[in-house]
Amino acid sequence: MCSGSDTWGDLAPGCHFPDLRLKDHVGNERSLSDLAGGDPVLLHFYRGWWCPKEQAYFRKLLRLQDEAEVAYTRFVSVSVDTPQESAAFRAGLGARWTFLSDQGRRWVHELGLLETTDSSHNPYVPTVFVLRPDLQIHASFNGYWFWGRPTNEELRQAFREITRSIRPDWHVPRK
Amino acid sequence: MSCWLAVCDTTPRDAVAAATFTADDDAGGVLAAWDGHSAPVPGAVKVDPRCIDVNGEAAWVSLVLAAPGTWLLFDDIVVSHAIRAVLAGPPVDVVSTFVIGDDRFVGALTAVHGDDRTRLGHDPFAAIFRARLIRVGAGLLGRTPTPVGPMTQRYGAANPWPWDRFPDPFTPDGVHPARHGIGDAPLC
Repeated sequence: MCSGSDTWGDLAPGCHFPDLRLKDHVGNERSLSDLAGGDPVLLHFYRGWWCPKEQAYFRKLLRLQDEAEVAYTRFVSVSVDTPQESAAFRAGLGARWTFLSDQGRRWVHELGLLETTDSSHNPYVPTVFVLRPDLQIHASFNGYWFWGRPTNEELRQAFREITRSIRPDWHVPRK
Repeated sequence: MSCWLAVCDTTPRDAVAAATFTADDDAGGVLAAWDGHSAPVPGAVKVDPRCIDVNGEAAWVSLVLAAPGTWLLFDDIVVSHAIRAVLAGPPVDVVSTFVIGDDRFVGALTAVHGDDRTRLGHDPFAAIFRARLIRVGAGLLGRTPTPVGPMTQRYGAANPWPWDRFPDPFTPDGVHPARHGIGDAPLC
């Protein structure tokens, strides 16, 4: 058991996130560690394409995408939608990051992120994690209520803190 | 160490991988790949090493190459725009930009295995320099992971996109994890 805030048990800041293996929106199996590479990661669990709250939150992330594309930072969004649904949703949004499909609902149970109040879709509880490249959780946000989700400014601050700690040349090298 | 690719008339003896190609609109030839710190032959360009696999199947390739002496800065807005379009567009099996020097964009390779060349109908790089649709034989092109996104930048100015990480100071060979443990193919 990882110690930390007990909001999410083993998914609290300071713990390491499990190395998920899921199909991406193209249908290729991907591991979270490989998707992270050596960069900070926004790991975003969402209910599904059909939820208006998710559509609203994605519109926020799309604005951040234009900064992240030059900031050595990666985004990964996970839902129980099929890869085909994820691909169509992603294309419609104009998102240029990786979507993962937990269609079989393996990880939603293992992570304890099942939204039990929706027995129709059995989706993820909307949750956002900011991860270090080694998948250590830097910050987590419970988005069950929409205002629990991180603002883009909170995400910028988290990415700045991680980047400052992992890039040895954060302080400009001097000859 | 970089991975280099060049169009040749015959198979170079020192290449780590090579395959013949045919083209509808032009003479065929050989596409060859090398490891090395400098260009092995005139006209060679740096390519994402994950593209190269001696066990790779034949592929249809959209080969975009600038005319000799022609280039754009990699940071040119048309290059950035094309990369965004690749990230947002339909998936392909292999993609890499071509780089020379530290900052010069000179084209791209986009490929699909199998017989369906229509999957190459969307090649954003074809709007920048001349594109040729060629059929490359087996033994050269593998599969590159779908770029994670939304990154459009190079990891080190001299490296081609979508190569996606800085050298790991804890990995002596600096080899991308995705290049380890894939069959026994000698790779760039």
